[in-house]
Amino acid sequence: MKLISISLRNLRIRLVATVLTMMSIIVATALYAAILVMAEQTEARYEGSIGGFQAIAGPNGTSELELVLNTIFNVGEASGRIPLEVCEQLRKSRGSRFRRSQVRYAIPQARGDSISRFNFPVVATIDEMFSKFEWKREPLQFAEGGPFEYSWDELVALATGLAAHENGKRAGDEVIPERPLLQKKWKQAVVGARVARSLKLKIGDVVVPVHGKLGEYDTHEHPEAACAIVGILEPTNSPIDSTIYLPIGIHLLIDGHAGGVFINKLGAGQSPVKAESMPVDPMRIALTAVICDPLDHMGSQILRKQFGSHEEAQVAWPQDVVPKFLRQIGNAADALAVIAWLVLLVAAVSITVAIYNTMNERRREIAIMRSLGARRFQILAIITGEATLLSFFGAVLGLVACHSAEYFMQPTVEDLTGVYLDWTLFKVWELWLVLGVSGIGAIAGLAPAVKGSMTQVADNLAQNY
Amino acid sequence: MIHLRDVQKSYSRGDQTVLACAVDRLDIESGEQVALIGRSGTGKTTVLHILAGILRPDRGEIDVAGARLDKLGEAARDNHRGRNIGMVYQTFNLLQPFTALENVLMGALFGRGAGGDAKERAAALLEKVGLGDRMHHRPGELSVGQVQRVAICRALINDPQLILMDEPLGNQDKATGGQVLDMMLQIASDNDKTVVMVTHDPGSAERMQRTVDLATLRGDTATSSGATSVETSR
Ligand SMILES: Nc1ncnc2c1ncn2[C@@H]1O[C@H](COP(=O)(O)OP(=O)(O)O)[C@@H](O)[C@H]1O
Ligand SMILES: [Mg+2]
Repeated sequence: MKLISISLRNLRIRLVATVLTMMSIIVATALYAAILVMAEQTEARYEGSIGGFQAIAGPNGTSELELVLNTIFNVGEASGRIPLEVCEQLRKSRGSRFRRSQVRYAIPQARGDSISRFNFPVVATIDEMFSKFEWKREPLQFAEGGPFEYSWDELVALATGLAAHENGKRAGDEVIPERPLLQKKWKQAVVGARVARSLKLKIGDVVVPVHGKLGEYDTHEHPEAACAIVGILEPTNSPIDSTIYLPIGIHLLIDGHAGGVFINKLGAGQSPVKAESMPVDPMRIALTAVICDPLDHMGSQILRKQFGSHEEAQVAWPQDVVPKFLRQIGNAADALAVIAWLVLLVAAVSITVAIYNTMNERRREIAIMRSLGARRFQILAIITGEATLLSFFGAVLGLVACHSAEYFMQPTVEDLTGVYLDWTLFKVWELWLVLGVSGIGAIAGLAPAVKGSMTQVADNLAQNY
Repeated sequence: MIHLRDVQKSYSRGDQTVLACAVDRLDIESGEQVALIGRSGTGKTTVLHILAGILRPDRGEIDVAGARLDKLGEAARDNHRGRNIGMVYQTFNLLQPFTALENVLMGALFGRGAGGDAKERAAALLEKVGLGDRMHHRPGELSVGQVQRVAICRALINDPQLILMDEPLGNQDKATGGQVLDMMLQIASDNDKTVVMVTHDPGSAERMQRTVDLATLRGDTATSSGATSVETSR
């Protein structure tokens, strides 16, 4: 028999009160841990996911942050569209003899589709995503299979065909050039590691693109564009793992309702209605972003200058944007942490009150222990022990709650923030949190413990009625 | 074993002072078994608590089991009580949430320590009083006589030199209570322990070697200097 077993027994015989009091500790700990986990995993995720996305060209009229969040972290909708010519410009300046080369690669991306039944984001792009794009200075690795085949030239050819067809239609020509057809060889998809894992996809399985996102008003499947999976990527521990890559040709053809793939360039005073009937240019095909990698510092400078005053596009630099964003998140996390501390404070007070309230009914039992030879400090230790144990168990259960929440909330959180919560991750600070909360509990137990240790022995042993 | 000199304890209630007990002189030798009698309210329990070191009198010398309790601080008296004195109360004062064995062990925990073979000794004591099959029962699941025996085991677990009992027969019928008392006294005399028992039951008092009437120890304010204790020997 030890003092701690007396503390434990005292908690157990007041089980209901113990559990109720523990609740507030559980909530406070879980809240605090959740905030820390979110802040930490967001930081790790966001910092660890930039690799390769050196610069992102996207539409004007949106914030750089939005552009970065959407392009790298799959958060929200694409915030606008840029014409293919932006990508072309970036690519042309590459390796030219007289102009200094700017970028190692410039890869077009178009978003807006998803995969039927599952809201994993679809990125329509070209084969350079798997040959030129560098993820942390190396091309993306395949766990199984390989890249799909859809080159820049194929994209340009398709854009030209689409434009010819559209222009014929708009001009009211007698012979309208055929709308290019969806080619069988394009129906290929590459999926990220987590997509493959959670949808249990293998090479050869078929995914059906959906226009828009599942659950939205006018979403519909495009079974004619069902793609076979040709490659499964190695995990990158970034949002790439949750992404499905399709050839951009598929996107353009299924997205082609009413010529919507072209962006009209309006002159001054031109009405959008008039623009509908204006001839289109192949290079006005709509993209949502271009991923580029400046060759060097000079390349970055040129890019900055070039896009500083571009009328349709801007370039976002994740290396600048993400840390700024993280600082804001850090501030928000700090504010939330204050709330968690307040909850913990309230929880501590509730422990004090709950135990203090039992002191009257326990005067006799304390007097009995004293009559057996218990010193005041032992009574103090027993009661403080109760508060400490209660907080300790509360803290441990709070962490369990936090990790369960991570497990259950994972899909929602990823959808909203692009952060993949790994519930199996345990950190050293969790140990400190448990110790800290237990310590706070000990302090909370001090007041009742002091009261208990002051209990008059003789009076409370008295058998005089 | 016990030497009290000029001990007095009073309580103030507002402007009124109640003399709870006054003992000019009380000497009890080692191994003696003494009954302390007196009408209700004469201060028997108070004297017992003073002997135990639970109460500190307003004045007087207290020498119990080799310690000058009037000179010791509270923690030291607690420690002394835990190690050298076993106590049995009228209501037995077992802790309800704990089993018989745990109650006995708690005596060891606050006395000479619950480590080592304490558990075996506690079990052996309970066996000895016939509670071998009730060790893991809570007080609520035991009869009055069984509770009394657990209380006695708890008083004996530290092998104390002195056992103090406050009307230990409780409200149980005299026959069973008396049997347990006899057993207790037998254990005490076998091990040369000193026993002081407060009682108002003449039958119980007769079982003891000596009876002390508290009223005769009382140094009244008027006659305090000349008062002598009247002791009746068996
Ligand atoms: N804490 C106290 N405050 C005031 N008076 C007390 C207190 N404890 C005991 N007394 C008084 O002291 C006297 C002796 O009490 P007690 O020792 O319990 O008597 P006994 O055990 O002989 O019945 C009684 O008159 C009682 O009312
Ligand atoms: Mg009494």
